[in-house]
Amino acid sequence: MKETDIQLMFCGSAGDGTIAVGDIFKRAMARAGYKVIAFDIYPPEIRGFGKCISRVRVTSRQAYSLKHASDVLVSLNDSYAIPHVSEVRDFGSVIYDNAPITSMAEGEHISGHLLPGQLPYGLRMREISDQTTGGSKSKNIVALGYLAGLFGISREPFHLIIKDKFKTKDQSISESNLLAFDTAYTEGASTFRLDFIEWGAPERQEIGGKVQMMTGNAAVVRGCLDAGIDCFFGYPITPATSIMERLATELPRRGGRLLQTEDEISAIAATIGAGYTGVRAATATSGPGLALMVEMLGLGVIAEVPSVIFCSQRGGPSTGMPTKTEQSDLHLAVYGGAGDAQRIVLAPTNVEGAYRCAGKAFEMAEKYQTPVIVLLDLYLSNRYETVVLPRQNPFEADSSKHRSNVERGVPYQRFALTEDNISPRTVPGEEGGVHVITGLEHNELGRPNDQSEMHNRMSEKRHKKLLAALDHPGITIHKRFGDTGQVDVGILGWGSTIGEILEAMLMAQAEGIRCSVMKVVMLSPLPNEPIRAFFSDCREVLIPELNYEGQFANLVAAAVPKPFTRLNRVPGVPMQVADILEQIRCLAERTKSSSAA
Amino acid sequence: MGSNQHYVIIGNGVAGNEAAYFLRQRDPESRITIITAGRLLFYSRYELPRLFHESCDWRDFLVNPVEYYVNNRINVRRNSFVTHVDAQRRTLSLAHKEDITYSQLLVASGGASYLPAELDEFAPLLNGFNLYSAACKVRDILPKQGKVVMLGGDVLGLDLARNLIREGYQVILVTSEHTFWPHRVDSAERTLFLGTLREMGVEVIEDVRIEQIEQGAPGMSARHILFDNGRELFADVVMPFFGLLPAADFMMGSGVDFERGLLVSTNLRTTDQNIWAAGDVCQIWSPEENQYRFYYGWKNVKKMGEIAARNMTGDDIHWETATDQKLFIDKHKQLVSPYWEHD
Repeated sequence: MKETDIQLMFCGSAGDGTIAVGDIFKRAMARAGYKVIAFDIYPPEIRGFGKCISRVRVTSRQAYSLKHASDVLVSLNDSYAIPHVSEVRDFGSVIYDNAPITSMAEGEHISGHLLPGQLPYGLRMREISDQTTGGSKSKNIVALGYLAGLFGISREPFHLIIKDKFKTKDQSISESNLLAFDTAYTEGASTFRLDFIEWGAPERQEIGGKVQMMTGNAAVVRGCLDAGIDCFFGYPITPATSIMERLATELPRRGGRLLQTEDEISAIAATIGAGYTGVRAATATSGPGLALMVEMLGLGVIAEVPSVIFCSQRGGPSTGMPTKTEQSDLHLAVYGGAGDAQRIVLAPTNVEGAYRCAGKAFEMAEKYQTPVIVLLDLYLSNRYETVVLPRQNPFEADSSKHRSNVERGVPYQRFALTEDNISPRTVPGEEGGVHVITGLEHNELGRPNDQSEMHNRMSEKRHKKLLAALDHPGITIHKRFGDTGQVDVGILGWGSTIGEILEAMLMAQAEGIRCSVMKVVMLSPLPNEPIRAFFSDCREVLIPELNYEGQFANLVAAAVPKPFTRLNRVPGVPMQVADILEQIRCLAERTKSSSAA
Repeated sequence: MGSNQHYVIIGNGVAGNEAAYFLRQRDPESRITIITAGRLLFYSRYELPRLFHESCDWRDFLVNPVEYYVNNRINVRRNSFVTHVDAQRRTLSLAHKEDITYSQLLVASGGASYLPAELDEFAPLLNGFNLYSAACKVRDILPKQGKVVMLGGDVLGLDLARNLIREGYQVILVTSEHTFWPHRVDSAERTLFLGTLREMGVEVIEDVRIEQIEQGAPGMSARHILFDNGRELFADVVMPFFGLLPAADFMMGSGVDFERGLLVSTNLRTTDQNIWAAGDVCQIWSPEENQYRFYYGWKNVKKMGEIAARNMTGDDIHWETATDQKLFIDKHKQLVSPYWEHD
């Protein structure tokens, strides 16, 4: 069967419907049964018409990341698309408006910037839009119709998605857009194709769940809901806002409560407060918000209160680059705050992982009585993937499972030192469960106590109880991919960069390099033993990540006294597969040289 | 000539690309832009009959690899249609409303297939062979050992005819005054050459006028042709080959002298100081014949490209034809046109 692996890039300004057309395209492809990975880039300005890019990779088998080079570029605005022409591969296609309404100076039209190996497809976008809808706003739909016709993709899934997109508007709008799509489709179908882009049929296979396409943030929301979240408190911040927006719609329908607080400090305070009462509560923020939350997080740690914090990282520090991706809040998530405030930190590596980490975070928070931070980043938050979610809810729905009955006749020790370091937990209002809770160091009853021995014992308890999380059921803490046993190059990674790392590994394997990847999902506490075992299997180890100094590498260096190579990039966009591959090649070469020597 | 020159070449054929090559050699720092209505880089149309006997795509017909254009900094603006040239402002306008300024302009836009007015109404039922896309279409619709009717029979058509016969197809030639164009043949030669064509396997029909071309009935051949003498023919493909007309409508109103083609002196300069012309689009002054005339064929056109480029960069070279223009019959009793020779 002919395989499909095609990446499209729609590029235009914020007023051109660039993200919207990318959205229709990817939904149509997912509906048709293809696997989809997509990522949108939009401008940081709230107002204005900045550059928007929607990249969609369509495959018959699941891919791990976007490709560096696209097969097709659709320009909805030449001035924004021109800088991206070089991202189209040789013998790939560029579709553009060849009948614009205004005159332009030399060099302003994209046709003058095409590389010799690229193929031009000029289309009367604005004219067709005007003729079919009475305006130029549907240029994006025209481009979509042409694209579908050109590549012979069935128009049915597009019709369904377009109708769905405009269902809340007047019927005439939906009809005129369908006409625009169909008119351009006919034109595309009659165009002589010169490219070598082949669309195979989607791969149909029996799977044990429901296939859906969603973003990382949408998966977080689904995970929260399936885990039975009761309350959410948040303050908007890019790129985490859509978590709150979705929950604002979904949560009240399920009897939950959502409150937009006045700031992030209030949001975390309310979350911890709600967790203390025994309900499942969460907040979501980004790096600047997490920085404000760390003081209260310390309270959650010392008072041993369950809470879940989703942090979607963006370029920093400070306001930084709100619409660019980065993995630079790892130190803050793991270490941020006063004192020895260890907490659980999870970093999903893909959209399905975002769902599982979100749901499991509530279980962990309750079981280990601690704040749990789920670290995403803009790339994962906004990235679309087709995922298979389990038909059976994989999360413990009972939030009281990890609570204890109060033993009658003895003083209730909220912070009792136990064998597994986890103390009996009650919630307010439970008979006999009265106790003191404070941010001060305390004894087992919860009463303030700053004696050195007590501080030692409590510190040890708070740290050691978390180690059990490394064996928490139903969640991948770490996983190895690729060649087994001894390999020349091992790549250790975390978060959304794993997709690019896996693609690079597959390419390296195709070149004959023995290599292997280990992804680490739990970053605190760190699974030291499996990481050490991985190091033992690899002659060279590479750690690629999207921050300047190598924050994950620093964690690893503290855990494993062995040399490795860092690959740190801060481009604001996902790491390039080619970049990682190049490093793998260098390291593989080094192993050959050392063998020869 | 300095590095601030912007040489613009309209046309992506033999003449235009040869000129671009020499312009780059002689003025390494300049900007060179080729503008073409086509969507492909320069490819050899002479090679298109290969489509009938081997599996290939347009990349196999490219004269230069993709890297050539990158390495030589030759910007090929494809799918771009010139609508007007303003010689005074040294600016040309493209259909997508972009204006481009030039230091010197070479018009090498070649020729478009000519179709006699009486056949205009049948144009949707006719197939060309002048472009890669058109050639692919013919290949795709023509069944194995299928029948091709050629109208006119210029040398481009005859080149295709001999290739088709070699591949086992049937070819019927309906002659006209354009048969053997652009060769000038007298009536004795005409009789001789038509006889040779028959010996090569071409069925030749003379002295008829086409009354009607129709879509064939379902399940029958795709085309049905009716002649004025009552004869009728069925064919899978009908192809007109009536020679070429200079493709330079966009030069109307530019102020440059134009007859059937752009008029150029023997150094290929038009009546405008900064505009030159080469290839099938231009008529070159012939002092011997005391008139302007066309010169055809790969070798001639290529030489024109070189001369134009040299003169645009300061030389003063004059045109001399590069090819013997006589049609002849070789020792294998095959009709041969020097215009079929190419690199």
